[in-house]
Amino acid sequence: MGKNVLLVDDSKTMRIIIGRSLRQAGIDFDNIFEAADGIEALEVLEKETVDIVLSDINMPNMDGISFLREKSTRDAIKDIPVLMISTETGDDIIGEAKSLGAVGAIKKPFTPDKVNEVLGPLL
Amino acid sequence: MDVGQAIIEGTEEVFSTMLMVELETGKPIEGEGGEVESNLTSMLGLGKDIKGMLAVHCPASVAKDITGTFLGMEVTELDDDVKDAIGEIANMVAGSLKIFFQEHDLSIELAIPTTIVGKSFHTAGMSGATRVAVPFTMNGATFLVELKYVDAT
Repeated sequence: MGKNVLLVDDSKTMRIIIGRSLRQAGIDFDNIFEAADGIEALEVLEKETVDIVLSDINMPNMDGISFLREKSTRDAIKDIPVLMISTETGDDIIGEAKSLGAVGAIKKPFTPDKVNEVLGPLL
Repeated sequence: MDVGQAIIEGTEEVFSTMLMVELETGKPIEGEGGEVESNLTSMLGLGKDIKGMLAVHCPASVAKDITGTFLGMEVTELDDDVKDAIGEIANMVAGSLKIFFQEHDLSIELAIPTTIVGKSFHTAGMSGATRVAVPFTMNGATFLVELKYVDAT
């Protein structure tokens, strides 16, 4: 059975670019789900089977850190890995994300090779 | 602290990495001058140790060209896709400036981009702010990346 990914970013452009980068990196997912903020992401995770989440940090309504915090309280989805893809790469904010369960981070801008390097070992 | 060079390096990295485009880069302008006739401006507020605003000012043709290159499709209108794409460019350039300022022990927080589309508008930052702007040319047309800031430390 193939794997499913959830892309969480308030920028539709960035969701398209990340999806394209996954294909260019040779990483095939059966389904690519999308969400524009943490609230939508939680809704998708409660409904769909998702193997990994790629999430931005700076988003309206519910940002990536709040999303991680809320997700960690829900037994059904708390163990789904989340990889942050963000302009925010400071040790403080990435450290907070990791303390809430994030498995790593990719800095924007990024190349397909960078996506493959970080995401590949997680699949 | 060479803010102009930081804008150049951040903007060039975004375009070369995400759009596979090598820009022609102009000289940084400190103070007034260098405005381009903008039909679309994406702005992003900066807070904490550095307060101010980063803006990307684009004529319509450049905004559509950037978006089309970003998305790999022809773009004919200044629609939501264009606003989103230029906003994301501003976001990534601001992210690189955040790292630059951190290297100078200045912590900044980034807001979410806002984009304005129109035919005749002017953006104004905080009074007394330092202004640094850099013109870039892509496929023969020029856009401007502008930072207005005050050191709040």
